[in-house]
Amino acid sequence: MLEIKNLHVAVGGKEILKGLTLSIAAGQVHAIMGPNGSGKSTLSYVLAGRAGYEITQGTISYNGEDLNALAPEQRAAKGVFLAMQYPVEIPGVTTLNFLKTALNAQRRARDESALDAMSVLKLVRKKAGVLKVSEEMLKRALNVGFSGGEKKRLEILQMALFEPKLAILDETDSGLDIDALKLVAEGVNALRAPDRAMLVITHYQRLLEYIVPDRIHVLAGGRIVAEGGKELAHELEAKGYEHIVGKAA
Amino acid sequence: MNAPAHWLDARRAEAENRFRSLGVPHRRVEDWKYSDLRVALDGANDAAPTANWDIATLPSGVELFDLAGLSSAPDWVVKNFGGTSAPDAMSSASLAQARAGFALRIPRGTAIADVLNLTLSGAGPLRGLIVLEESASLTLMETVTGSAGFANTGIEILLGANAQLTHIRTSVAAPDAVQVEEVAVKLARDAQYKAHFFNGGAKLSRLELQIALKGDGAGAHLSGVSVLSGHADVTTHITHAVGNTQSTQLFKHVAGGKGRAVYQGKVSVAQGADKSDSRQTAKALLLGTGAEADLKPELEIFADDVKCAHGAAVGDLDADSLFYLRARGIPENEARNMLLRAFLEEAVAEIANADIHAAVWRSVEAALSLVRGEAP
Repeated sequence: MLEIKNLHVAVGGKEILKGLTLSIAAGQVHAIMGPNGSGKSTLSYVLAGRAGYEITQGTISYNGEDLNALAPEQRAAKGVFLAMQYPVEIPGVTTLNFLKTALNAQRRARDESALDAMSVLKLVRKKAGVLKVSEEMLKRALNVGFSGGEKKRLEILQMALFEPKLAILDETDSGLDIDALKLVAEGVNALRAPDRAMLVITHYQRLLEYIVPDRIHVLAGGRIVAEGGKELAHELEAKGYEHIVGKAA
Repeated sequence: MNAPAHWLDARRAEAENRFRSLGVPHRRVEDWKYSDLRVALDGANDAAPTANWDIATLPSGVELFDLAGLSSAPDWVVKNFGGTSAPDAMSSASLAQARAGFALRIPRGTAIADVLNLTLSGAGPLRGLIVLEESASLTLMETVTGSAGFANTGIEILLGANAQLTHIRTSVAAPDAVQVEEVAVKLARDAQYKAHFFNGGAKLSRLELQIALKGDGAGAHLSGVSVLSGHADVTTHITHAVGNTQSTQLFKHVAGGKGRAVYQGKVSVAQGADKSDSRQTAKALLLGTGAEADLKPELEIFADDVKCAHGAAVGDLDADSLFYLRARGIPENEARNMLLRAFLEEAVAEIANADIHAAVWRSVEAALSLVRGEAP
């Protein structure tokens, strides 16, 4: 589903990703682990299409299509979803209205009919319960005054609502206590599906206890320096990044 | 009992002298730095004044007096007319020159449920006087039609103890109009003045508020949005004359084309006015490189124990927010519109009355499409 080859990305003229190669098949959950500054967030932003992230070399192919040729909203409509590390607060836009606008924009782009407010509300309610997203949260301005846990739960609710084909979770565990982490992980696990690929980006192995990946890639210095099964996470936890990164160098 | 007319002649003569010594303000007068009235009026002919007011339906309980008959004014008009007028040039001019105008009085303890709709039109000088006696309340919707020419309006508002006035003013885009409106508000103990101003811009538009919080517990809460490709200047001066008084201000501007949005907000806290609480925020979004915003919040504090905060920011739509919305599938144009409306709604949301909130939004939408049509 996702095929990244020799990807080089520069931000503000500085090269952050330096030849990253990675591929994920439908139905699989991959994890990217790496120390701070290794390029994890750069990878997530470049996949979602954020301005200012310049691909200087290499390719990203998504279902055979050049992802880089698509605007962020086109990627979303084609099923790419990025759960952000820092969800943005937008005063003046209620959460429910945002969900409706986004869902219908995606549907429109796919030539599907728009849903009315009542249908969207029903759909949201169906998905919100398990993530403990309350009606009151839906009425509030988007992410405004939400706790760290509430913001991350809302990200996963969006993932459940939009039903993406490729979900990228950027440090979804950051700032969560263990209960919130479990709740979010349950939400993510419920979305595992044969036609859906997930890329879980994290600094710590903790999240991977709850979202067990099929494969782990270690990112350091803008490149994948090690790969392995889920046991790699334990090795990283026990021996630290230095050990693995040092061995690869 | 009708008062003799000489009281009026004296007040007008005094105001005329003040205006003559000050002259028409221009950009070298600090307060008018961003709004050069002298230049805007250059070439304007002195046509006969057409300024007029209209109240389609007077809610019961409101007393109305037409200022055209000032020489036979009732006591409450004689006592108050011209009394709180600020000593600056343009309100002196309207006091001296206006023959048209309205005076409204809400008697003590009277709550007016219906909205009072006031329409101001035409060019020339106009005066207004609004008196809310103790514990009276009113919602006033003022609509400025944007006739071509130079309109100079002066309104005095007196709020007795515990009186509450909600004042909404909408002024549609008027590229051929030069509009000056000076509002002076005096508040007694526990009185509340809550106001929202929508401005669509004009050749020159200046709304100036001089607000005096004179009694314990008095509060002024101002909000407003300007959406323009012309000019709009909102200038406020709130004086916390005594302690335990509150003021809040939230102004949002969107300027496109060669538009210029101005906010000057001065808050003065008098000596001994402890426990005063004041907040002011002004923000502007510029659509395109030809637009300009000048935001100038200012504090002047002579008391020790006060809470005062102010902030101002000019910029483009937030890049993080725009990316977030687009990454969720919302096309760029739609995302920009959403953020633009959200930016304005923060201020429009201060209007509690749902019907008025919706009416103001209709004006905002009309101005937005105008501004976007003209933006490069």
